[in-house]
Amino acid sequence: MQLDFGARELTIKLVYYGPALSGKTTNLQALHSAADPNATGRLMTLETKDDRTLFFDLLPLTFRDQGGLTVRLKVFTVPGQVIHASTRRLVLQGADGVAFVGDSRISQTEQNAESFMDLKENLKENGLALKQMPLIIQFNKRDLCDIRSDQEIAELAAQGHEPVYLSVATQSKGVIESFAGLVYLTWSALDAQHDLNRKFSFDSKAFLNDVVQKLGQTRSVSQILSARVGGALDVLGPEAVV
Amino acid sequence: MGVSAEKSLEELTMRDRFALEDLVDREALGELSEGFYKLFRVPLRIFSESGLLLADAGETHRLYTYLATLKKSSSAVQEVVAMVKTIDPKLQGDVTYPCVTGAVYRIVGVTYDRRQLGRIILGPFLPHSVHDLPASLLDLDPEIELPKARDLLAEMPRAREETVAEIAQHLVRTLDLILFSGHRALLASSMHLASVQESFKELQEKNEKLQHAVDRLKELDRLKSNFLATVSHELRTPLTSIIGYSEMLVEGMAGDLNLEQRDFVRTIYEKGEQLLRLIKGLLDLSKLESGTMSLSKSYIDAAPLVRDVAQTVTPVARKKGVQIVVQTEPGLPELWADAARLRQVFLNLADNAVKFTPTGGSVTLSAQISSLESGAEDGSGLVLLARRAAIEFRVSDTGIGIPESERERVFDAFYQVDSSSTREQGGTGLGLSIVRRLVDAHGGAVHVEDNRRSGSGSVFVVRLPCRRATVF
Repeated sequence: MQLDFGARELTIKLVYYGPALSGKTTNLQALHSAADPNATGRLMTLETKDDRTLFFDLLPLTFRDQGGLTVRLKVFTVPGQVIHASTRRLVLQGADGVAFVGDSRISQTEQNAESFMDLKENLKENGLALKQMPLIIQFNKRDLCDIRSDQEIAELAAQGHEPVYLSVATQSKGVIESFAGLVYLTWSALDAQHDLNRKFSFDSKAFLNDVVQKLGQTRSVSQILSARVGGALDVLGPEAVV
Repeated sequence: MGVSAEKSLEELTMRDRFALEDLVDREALGELSEGFYKLFRVPLRIFSESGLLLADAGETHRLYTYLATLKKSSSAVQEVVAMVKTIDPKLQGDVTYPCVTGAVYRIVGVTYDRRQLGRIILGPFLPHSVHDLPASLLDLDPEIELPKARDLLAEMPRAREETVAEIAQHLVRTLDLILFSGHRALLASSMHLASVQESFKELQEKNEKLQHAVDRLKELDRLKSNFLATVSHELRTPLTSIIGYSEMLVEGMAGDLNLEQRDFVRTIYEKGEQLLRLIKGLLDLSKLESGTMSLSKSYIDAAPLVRDVAQTVTPVARKKGVQIVVQTEPGLPELWADAARLRQVFLNLADNAVKFTPTGGSVTLSAQISSLESGAEDGSGLVLLARRAAIEFRVSDTGIGIPESERERVFDAFYQVDSSSTREQGGTGLGLSIVRRLVDAHGGAVHVEDNRRSGSGSVFVVRLPCRRATVF
């Protein structure tokens, strides 16, 4: 998080993590096309000629609170391929919240687990613990065959505390729900840590409303947030964010 | 840009407060502005957020040149220009500002990622609605010659305000694309740099670990050599007594022994000698490894040395039914070497050769003139590298030979091609490693080849430099 008191600007970094080809960039593309042009800039992609993410993708989203605070959300993806380990670590630096995009196919179970361990390891390298990090998990590619069943995911999700979302990013399904969950968790954690709502007389409810509206949603925030299949959107306790 | 790439990357992706002049090339921006001016005939200037003039396209119109000659008009126009410069589209939005001449300026903001980075000022141009000089100007400055000023006004570029607003927007969009591309390139290169640094850091850490491991191994190796030297020395002292006393017993100095007793004691004596040779070998090796072996070099003739070695191994060879052949080229130059150590080298090789040659076979010891190349193994730079005269010694046998893959390793200490042969043939696996180290200490080289002449067996080739260092 970067806070510019003078300009009354807050910049928050959100990172989409996950194994290669799990749909991280597709998530950003879906967010970008859903977003109000007044709230977003160009989606910047740094990719190779075969459309694989080389360094990262970056989607800037800007929201202005009635109190005059500008909140800039910088949404990044990391390159999933194993060889880009150092790039992932660099992109992860200073992340305020992480969305883990997993591939729902049973055949990808191991890649998901490996990437998750990699996330844990890289956070550690950056001096962060996974449990301190606002995190949502998205099971993408729900439209494919040979995937883990909804029930199986729900059962597993019930055991963990991270909110879990199901998605088909190519059809923009579940993308905004995941993102809203991530923004909610991240904001709550930052607020708990920095007392932002009070310092800036910030209305976080109105902010979240603004976010989902500018992403073309007519549903209420609570409706969108309830789309998760497991875990909780509890504000991380102070002991977790110290 | 920050000091470190990490910092700059964080700044670039999170703060990204750029100045317009950092992201665009000023000359190219000037060309772009000129292009717009040529196309639309509306002068334009581009200022950075800090007020720096980055591009200025279009000429001062003749009307303005004329008004500049008149005191009152000139100061009125200057006032407008100064006012236009203070207009901030960030606060006021895009603005159309009138000039005293009836012409107008259009001021628009250049923004990137919702931040204003600069301003574009288009104009002055004449809106379609203006047909004459405003009365206010004529009232202000009576010195104006109306017909002339009217003529000049008529020459001014005319444009619809909406059109100019569109031109301005088009320019803003073009700039946005340039800024986006510039930002993207900046991020990509910073990322690249940061990645390289990160990889470099990882490699450095690995190198440090490796260096640490190497240092530790070297220390272990030194300790091992020291240990070997100490133990060998300590072993030798009691062994000398064992050999001495058993020798005295065999010689009957402690009274007569019966045949069986003499046989037993002789075995003790022989095995003691064998053990002593082994210990000496270990000592030699540790000395050679630690570099404490001193060579007493002198000029020596190669041919007598070879013959002497042949004679020494002949009894054993004869017993085994192996023929010893000596071939020395006449007129061999002298060697600068330690005679005792060279004898040790060839004795070792000859001993081995006899040991591994079956009955009916032969061992050939030969010496001939050759040359030694220094450091040009791959044949490159031969013309530059001195070739020194050398003597090539060959010890050939007709035994089982050594597979190609093993030929380098036979010179490693304690290594034996087939460990079962050790039990059969005896030996410690130290001989060849001592041979290589002694040859190295003489500035020579040793390697193994196939014995092509006899079809089986191997040839140990030793090349030693001669006294004269001749290029030939």
